[in-house]
Amino acid sequence: MSSSFSASNNLTATLSIPLTRQHHRPHPTRPSSLKCHHHSPDSHPHQHSHQPPPRLSLFKTLSISSAAAAVLFHCSPLHDLSNGGGGINGAGGDGGGGWFGDGSSGGGGGGFWSRLFAPSSAIADESQSQDWDSHGLPANIVVQLNKLSGFKKYKLSEILFFDRNRRSKVSAEDSFFEMVSLRPGGVYTKAQLQKELETLATCGMFEKVDLEGKTNADGTIAVTINFTESTWQQADRFRCINVGLMQQTKPVEMDSDMTDKEMLEYYRAQERDYKRRIEKARPCLLPGSVHGEIMQMLNEQGAVSARLLQRIRDRVQKWYHDAGYACAQVVNFGNLNTKEVVCEVVEGDITQLVIQFQDKLGNVVEGNTKIPVVKRELPRQLRPGYTFNIEAGKQALRNINSLALFSNIEVNPRPDEKNEGGIIVEIKLKELEQKTAEVSTEWSIVPGRGGRPTLASIQPGGTVTFEHRNLQGLNRSINGSLTTSNFFNPQDDLAFKLEYVHPYLDGVTDPNNRTLRVSCFNNRKLSPVFTGGPGLDEVPPIWVDRAGVKANITENFTRQSKFTYGLVMEEITTRDESSHICANGQRVLPSGGISTDGPPTTLSGTGIDRMAFFQANITRDNTRFVNGTVVGDRNVFQVDQGLGIGSQLPFFNRHQLTLTRFLQLMKVEEGAGKSPPPVLVLHGHYGGCVGDLPSYDAFTLGGPYSVRGYNMGEIGAARNILELAAELRIPIKGTHVYGFAEHGNDLGSSKSLKGNPTEVYRRLGHGSSYGVGLKLGLVRAEYAVDHNSGTGALFFRFGERF
Amino acid sequence: MGEWNLVQSVEELARYNTPSRIRSVAALALLLLPPPLPSSLSPFLSSAMASQIIREWSGINTFAPATQKKLLELLGKLKQEDVNSLTILVMGKGGVGKSSTLNSIIGERVVSISPFQSEGPRPVMVSRSRAGFTLNIIDTPGLIEGGYINDLALDIIKRFLLNKTIDVLLYVDRLDAYRVDNLDKLVAKAITDSFGKEIWNKAIIALTHAQFSPPDGLPYEEFFSKRSEALLKVLRSGARIKKEAFQASSIPVVLVENSGRCNTNDNGEKVLPNSTVWIPHLVQTITEIALNGSKSIHVDKNLIEGPNPNQRGKLWIPLLFTLQYFFVMKPIEGLIKKDIARESRPAWETREPGFRKRDLY
Repeated sequence: MSSSFSASNNLTATLSIPLTRQHHRPHPTRPSSLKCHHHSPDSHPHQHSHQPPPRLSLFKTLSISSAAAAVLFHCSPLHDLSNGGGGINGAGGDGGGGWFGDGSSGGGGGGFWSRLFAPSSAIADESQSQDWDSHGLPANIVVQLNKLSGFKKYKLSEILFFDRNRRSKVSAEDSFFEMVSLRPGGVYTKAQLQKELETLATCGMFEKVDLEGKTNADGTIAVTINFTESTWQQADRFRCINVGLMQQTKPVEMDSDMTDKEMLEYYRAQERDYKRRIEKARPCLLPGSVHGEIMQMLNEQGAVSARLLQRIRDRVQKWYHDAGYACAQVVNFGNLNTKEVVCEVVEGDITQLVIQFQDKLGNVVEGNTKIPVVKRELPRQLRPGYTFNIEAGKQALRNINSLALFSNIEVNPRPDEKNEGGIIVEIKLKELEQKTAEVSTEWSIVPGRGGRPTLASIQPGGTVTFEHRNLQGLNRSINGSLTTSNFFNPQDDLAFKLEYVHPYLDGVTDPNNRTLRVSCFNNRKLSPVFTGGPGLDEVPPIWVDRAGVKANITENFTRQSKFTYGLVMEEITTRDESSHICANGQRVLPSGGISTDGPPTTLSGTGIDRMAFFQANITRDNTRFVNGTVVGDRNVFQVDQGLGIGSQLPFFNRHQLTLTRFLQLMKVEEGAGKSPPPVLVLHGHYGGCVGDLPSYDAFTLGGPYSVRGYNMGEIGAARNILELAAELRIPIKGTHVYGFAEHGNDLGSSKSLKGNPTEVYRRLGHGSSYGVGLKLGLVRAEYAVDHNSGTGALFFRFGERF
Repeated sequence: MGEWNLVQSVEELARYNTPSRIRSVAALALLLLPPPLPSSLSPFLSSAMASQIIREWSGINTFAPATQKKLLELLGKLKQEDVNSLTILVMGKGGVGKSSTLNSIIGERVVSISPFQSEGPRPVMVSRSRAGFTLNIIDTPGLIEGGYINDLALDIIKRFLLNKTIDVLLYVDRLDAYRVDNLDKLVAKAITDSFGKEIWNKAIIALTHAQFSPPDGLPYEEFFSKRSEALLKVLRSGARIKKEAFQASSIPVVLVENSGRCNTNDNGEKVLPNSTVWIPHLVQTITEIALNGSKSIHVDKNLIEGPNPNQRGKLWIPLLFTLQYFFVMKPIEGLIKKDIARESRPAWETREPGFRKRDLY
């Protein structure tokens, strides 16, 4: 009943289709899917009398409650959708074939198809709890319906169909059984049974039908429905037409005192009308394969029987519903008793798209968001002129949800009252607060004297974030965050980020999706360049502080592939352990002393660099999930092009190319719960730089995202690097195990990095590792052997390596 | 020849002077010497002023007179070529006799030798002047420590050599070693990496402990040639010198015996088993190498730190960026376009009923 997907804001959005308040009858045959409910027209008042109240039990499945951004998907009943030829059906009490247009007797102006899916299944439910009365008759006698007492409630032990033509009972799987709402074990009054019979008689399936009971010894009765099926002459062609949005022909009243000639005239006129109607009707979406199947069904069968038509209807509707056309309905079979069976379908054509905003109480309000912002997220298939498809609706939901502007999104197809068979797609949106601010605090235990956590050194830290989103209703936003590990002394390590996002740079109606981002930031990181090799354990750390402004434009090609280019201006400060600015790394002398003439940390030699450069990044990512595991290609190329602006006029070209390929090693069936395929991951990363290269921009080797099994930068820091990795993932019980081998190499370029930090800190410049691991949710537990020292260790890491 | 005697007498005079009086002695020499000399002496003066004290090469007098004579001849030869200062860099593994060789050449115990301990990690420059000629010999600590190149020592050596010019590299090893191994290769590599391949054009290999009887009755000359051949081979591979280039400027191998028990000939000169008088021979070789036409190695910042890697290829950056744009970014963009075209769309997206009457609405 409900399917859920994970939305970007980490709230589970539930996509569900409740049976809405006005629905008249739950569909018995397809109880678990998205449906448009057609209710029978008013010309059948008797139907209404045993309408069940909305089945509350179904609402239980809609557990949306807690999620703040619940996304509802309504499919409300379509009124009067099956109203085609209502007039004829109104007179359909006669004979019984009223809802099948009878080719010979009037060209098939159409009838009520709705009858076919009209069994009221809920009668029994209603009365189940009540007591029932014994029939009070001797056992094993046959009782006609009209002989039953009107005051008793009868319990049915079983229901049988008896085909008079074939002189045989109908098996329980037959489609006839879905016609009746009676259920074995149910308790019914005589009136209810009579109504049931009446329903059957008028539904057009039967030429003749009656109901009789057989008394059982225990007071229950077994009901047998004797029937003669309606049949028509054999057909060898099949045609499916879309009659949605067509003017319904109002047939001329047929006078009872018409002469034969007039009758003939009348039928001829009707036939003509119907022909014209078929010609005017648009072909439907039904594919050739299903068409062929139905042709075969027709050919196998001799005469066209009601049951055959029912099967055809089921087949056609099944295709539509499987394909997502939830509002498609077979409304009529026309042209019977000719060579061609015409199946009339209302596919659910969209006539209108309405976007409206609601406040918290559900009142329609004028929204802040500009309509084109929402409109550009909608698939074309939701625009008027297309057939409503539930998948397009879901796509729209996902797309709108990814805007992160709304707390509630409903995509709701509603019947168009002015256009019969038309659908109005209503999109109801609840906007999120524009301004939000949030403070999250955390207490961290910091190492005190001797590295031990001390109580005295517990500091209050945390993050203050604020956001002002959807500026001018165009999804522009300003957001910022402020993080410190110590609110008492925020000057120690205050990290901030302020960002302005301006989407739809080319205009909101332009299909190009370019987003401008301007941000100012600062951050502090431990430099992996100043890290010791295996022999050297204590290298005094160097902190790299960056503060600057960044402006870039992102062009999204697909959801994952994008091109980003922009300018970065930043000031880089390198500091030692005690936060003093330092211009050179420190090295430990063999005597144990520390000399400060290590490799230079900055280009300027002062410990502070300023530079501006152009940055471009192109990412091609066509990875997708196959049963929960990633398969595909990911290529990233990034270039930082120095412009000669800054200290020492830095001019450089720093580039890196990453190629990752997830090879699916085995074909598997896709679907929920199916096991993922084994995957071989091949990964290569090349980084290089020509021109000025300060230590903080050097490429480092080693670490969980470089060469596993080593510490960050343990292998070396160089001007050009090459990393190669291979990983084989084997699925096991909902997760996977993997084996990997990786290699990192400085390509001999360590010495062309000023000061040669690789050598100074006794690193080798190249290294390999191999190991095995197990994925446990988000955590990777892996045992990696570092090939340089030959020792292995167990690591726990978050996230993916690739 | 008369000039030389004069100079020599001045030197002899100076021998008894304290270093502080050297300048006046030099001035005296300036007065006494004929015209060609003053121009060649002036650098000596300035260098004397710069490095303040350059001691008189008095140790030369401890040599046998024949040796002294030969040495002075050689110095004269250098002078004729307008060379009046020579810097010799002594390098090699630890414990091969670098310092002893230095002491032998100078004729003094300038550098203390400790047979069982490795010397301190600092290089030492010993400068001696004689007859307006300055001889600088730089003794360096052993390059090998614990089976690896001692990077720190190498670094200190490089810094010590900053702004100096190396005229001759004296690579010292022992004659009485039977094998060559990877360490020799590493040392050669370290030297090449530090000073460039050109330094091997200025190199002499000195094999110490030359007064040694080869085992198994191998003729001395044969052992010597085999040993030097093997060593040259490994050095060549370590220094990554091509064979042809190496042969074109073959590195001379000389023998050295620093022991006080070194045999002497009739003239009291130290001789080796192959009856070479080794000190003059060594100095002669040094002279030859100094004058062999190859450029001396000037150690400047560039040489120590290598060429500034930040400058390399800078001119090509605009071209590189252009190439990246056209040959990396554009193809990736093309791949993305291809992905988009190839993307498998759900059926409902592709089922485009062309016959839809849009004008209906």
